[in-house]
Amino acid sequence: MKQFSYRHTKEAELMDSVEAASKNASSMSEDELFSFAEFNAEDVERTGYSNYSYWRSTFQAFLKNKGAVALLVLLGLLLLFTFIQPYLPGQYDPNMIVNDANGMQYRNVPPGDMFLLGTNSIGQDLWARIWAGTRTSLFIGLSVAVAEALIGITVGVIWGYVRKADFILTEVYNIIDNIPNTIILILISYILKPGVKTLIFAMCLTGWIQMARFIRNQILIIRDRDYNVASRCLGTPTWRIMMKNLLPYLVSVIMLRMALTIPAAIGNEVFITYIGLGLPVDIPSLGNLINEGRALITSPALRYQLVYPTIILSFVTISFYIIGNAFSDAADPKNHV
Amino acid sequence: MPDKNIPEKMLTVEDLEIKFELRGKTLNAIRGISLDLYKGEILAIVGESGSGKSVFTKSFMGLLDQNGKVTAGKVMYYGADDGMPMELTALKREKEWYKIRGHEIAMIMQDPMTSLNPLKTIGVQIMEAVLLHQNLTRAEAKEKTLKYLEDVGISHPERRFYQYPHEFSGGMRQRVVIAIAIACAPQILICDEPTTALDVTIQAQILDLLKALRHKYKLSIILITHDLGVVANIADRVAVMYAGDIVEIGTSEDIFYDPRHPYTWALLSSLPQVGVKGTDLFSIPGTPPNLFSEIKGDAFAPRNSRALKIDFLETPPYFQVSPTHKAKTWLLDPRAPKVEPPPVVEKIRNGGLM
Amino acid sequence: MEREVLLEVKDLEVTFGERKKKFQAVKKVNFKIYKGETFGLVGESGSGKTTIGRAIMRIVPSAGGEILYKGDKINGTISPVLDQKVIKEIQMIFQDPQASLNERAKVDYIISEGLLNIEKGIREADRKARVEQALLDVGLLPEFSSRFPHEFSGGQRQRIGIARALIMNPEFIIADEPISALDVSIRAQVLNLLSDMQKKRQITYLFIAHDLSVMRFITDRIAVIHKGRIVEMAETEELITHAIHPYTRALLSAIPMPDPRHEREKKLLVYEPEMHDYSVDTPDWVEMRPDHFVLANQKEVGEWKNG
Repeated sequence: MKQFSYRHTKEAELMDSVEAASKNASSMSEDELFSFAEFNAEDVERTGYSNYSYWRSTFQAFLKNKGAVALLVLLGLLLLFTFIQPYLPGQYDPNMIVNDANGMQYRNVPPGDMFLLGTNSIGQDLWARIWAGTRTSLFIGLSVAVAEALIGITVGVIWGYVRKADFILTEVYNIIDNIPNTIILILISYILKPGVKTLIFAMCLTGWIQMARFIRNQILIIRDRDYNVASRCLGTPTWRIMMKNLLPYLVSVIMLRMALTIPAAIGNEVFITYIGLGLPVDIPSLGNLINEGRALITSPALRYQLVYPTIILSFVTISFYIIGNAFSDAADPKNHV
Repeated sequence: MPDKNIPEKMLTVEDLEIKFELRGKTLNAIRGISLDLYKGEILAIVGESGSGKSVFTKSFMGLLDQNGKVTAGKVMYYGADDGMPMELTALKREKEWYKIRGHEIAMIMQDPMTSLNPLKTIGVQIMEAVLLHQNLTRAEAKEKTLKYLEDVGISHPERRFYQYPHEFSGGMRQRVVIAIAIACAPQILICDEPTTALDVTIQAQILDLLKALRHKYKLSIILITHDLGVVANIADRVAVMYAGDIVEIGTSEDIFYDPRHPYTWALLSSLPQVGVKGTDLFSIPGTPPNLFSEIKGDAFAPRNSRALKIDFLETPPYFQVSPTHKAKTWLLDPRAPKVEPPPVVEKIRNGGLM
Repeated sequence: MEREVLLEVKDLEVTFGERKKKFQAVKKVNFKIYKGETFGLVGESGSGKTTIGRAIMRIVPSAGGEILYKGDKINGTISPVLDQKVIKEIQMIFQDPQASLNERAKVDYIISEGLLNIEKGIREADRKARVEQALLDVGLLPEFSSRFPHEFSGGQRQRIGIARALIMNPEFIIADEPISALDVSIRAQVLNLLSDMQKKRQITYLFIAHDLSVMRFITDRIAVIHKGRIVEMAETEELITHAIHPYTRALLSAIPMPDPRHEREKKLLVYEPEMHDYSVDTPDWVEMRPDHFVLANQKEVGEWKNG
């Protein structure tokens, strides 16, 4: 039942404006326009939808950081090359001492046609040694990061979540934390046979506790949030709370720490080798390459034996650091704008 | 000589539009609002989350987030010392805003705990405001601070002066925040949900306090809230906001006793105070619209079971109900079918709530 | 006819902290909740109302007293069988829809989390069907089960939380301020849903809130709690129209009504805890009107009886 009246001029005015406003309306008479529209309650429920995806936004935020992306690409290429390099034609074995026609070793040959980056003091090809060394150092770095993460997360989650474990583990932490890392590193390297496994073991031994502490602090923050309380009320067992409620929140912080652990581990390896307790010479690593080159820093002709390994080391370390930080920034929801 | 009967305008907003850049898309937070604030009045802006009420008032103080911009319209302020009108939307640099913030327009917010610096005594925090905005010596400033503490109802001000925020309860902290705001000697006070985080008894006291301070310090107050009960208690005029637009505005009596916009009806109907035990409470289905897309027609139409077809096609203009009261709904168009407001309106008008 | 008591709280005490920093959140609280009713517990922040709810859910340990569910004591250490029973039959709805759902899990998992714990051998097809039914029951669409919580509005998230509780077919639900964090127009939706569920499934509710106007609409009986003690308890209408304890009266006078005339004319009653002198004349739980109990000492009984 419609009750309306209008003056002729107003009707014309309004008809014009209504007509001009939308093309859909042109098919509708004025009566129809002012009649009730259909109301669909179900459709209305769908209006609350937003399609924000955390990981997608993190990815997009990371891509905006052109520097980090560039470094990531370069680092990836470098990594790829360390694997491909031995299969390329004309590569020397890193440990082979190359003799010339007369049986003399090609010692300290500067970079040139025969040896791309020259040779070292006993006649080994530096190019091959550098790539082998990078492989080893990266392997050490990644192994330490992964092992540290696995142990550290396991302990950290229990430490933070299980109230009874908190007391004991805190005491353990306080004791271990007070022992300087370098002493442990040195001791282990001294006691056990020098090798890649020893180094990884020694570095994990000192590194896991920090990761555990960090994870524990994060867990403490989210432990008593309502959604975890709800899970406890529903009878969810502790292991499932850890796997589905806690760990997914920590993925981005874990990845950041791992990204920073890699350069730290490589740096530690260089240090241990520097003080003479590192890898034996037949396992090339950036550490012992730099160590060998260090002695030659005073002679300008031979400096290349130090420079090239250092460049690679610096590049790898800085890249991981920058990429790790860029990822951490991207993973922060506040930056998803 | 200004005519005392014509209320003086403190602030006018003309066709204001504010947009945000969010993840590559544009959010139309404020879609063309015009509003006047008169001297000495308490204007309530009622809306739910997502209506844009906070964004709207932040633009008066240049506090919009980095990714927000005023894209059209302007805000004019008439209360400056020299009597010259200032175009607030034209201010670009932080330095220009320093003259406005605090001294002309002050703001208090919802959570008193995060509004106060936990490391400084409350006395110092209030004194800082006094020293910054009023030309007084330290001794005089302290005197004034104690007076402000008394004004906001804090007993034993000489002792409390030296206490830290954590030594105060929620309601007392909010009083301290109000003291800091009036210590700036502002003309306009913007209160963004000042009592939402407080218990109901404390809320009532804070509202009384604001009313008293309005008279004592000749303030014009803009109160942002989602609580219609608070509005009824304190507001002279009420603006109802929905999806970045003001859909209805009028005096408190207009809005509560003669509401015209379906959204206002829906808000009033869904209050538990008006519900009848045993029957369902009226509820507005769905959620507010997505402001990323252009809104065609009346923004509230999809959730309005009594929407007209034209509501989906064309945005209604304001229809004047009385000199003080207007609403943006096609229902007020003479050609629209007559729709009775829901029974709750009658109930409120006849005082049948208690 | 004797009404069945579903939950009884006897002399409940809850304390936090140790030794010097001991804080008594709940001091000798007593009340009964009958099967099928909605019992309201109203108080301001710090009153202990949330603590009582959590003590019943066994999230928070009790320091004294007993909580009896269907006659069995459920506070303290209990048998695994009783534990399972309680987990299934008593559910909780939380206040903050932003914090009470696991952001990294799909709605599917969130809703059926309890099912996976209680019905360990449940078939995947059954589980999915029950999740879909739960979503429909709360007015959401079944297609939502494959989405994440952040894709939904506050009101929808709160309904997901309710679905999580309802899928367990509980007999008793503790709703801890279920609508305080929601927008005004969404509150009505959730309140309607809760009362619908009660009619359909005969669920008993303990409704905890600070807002008496909401209580008036949804509860059958109300207990008013102040600083860890229940000060007044009666049927809802009786309490609201004939409030006796000054704290209850202060709460009532502070409720803002959407009526400007009423608000301007009203006089605010202020409650001063110092008005009670309980040093010699200790208070008792007194039935001052039929089925209407107040915490008062002898002197106060005399004063207040005459309004």
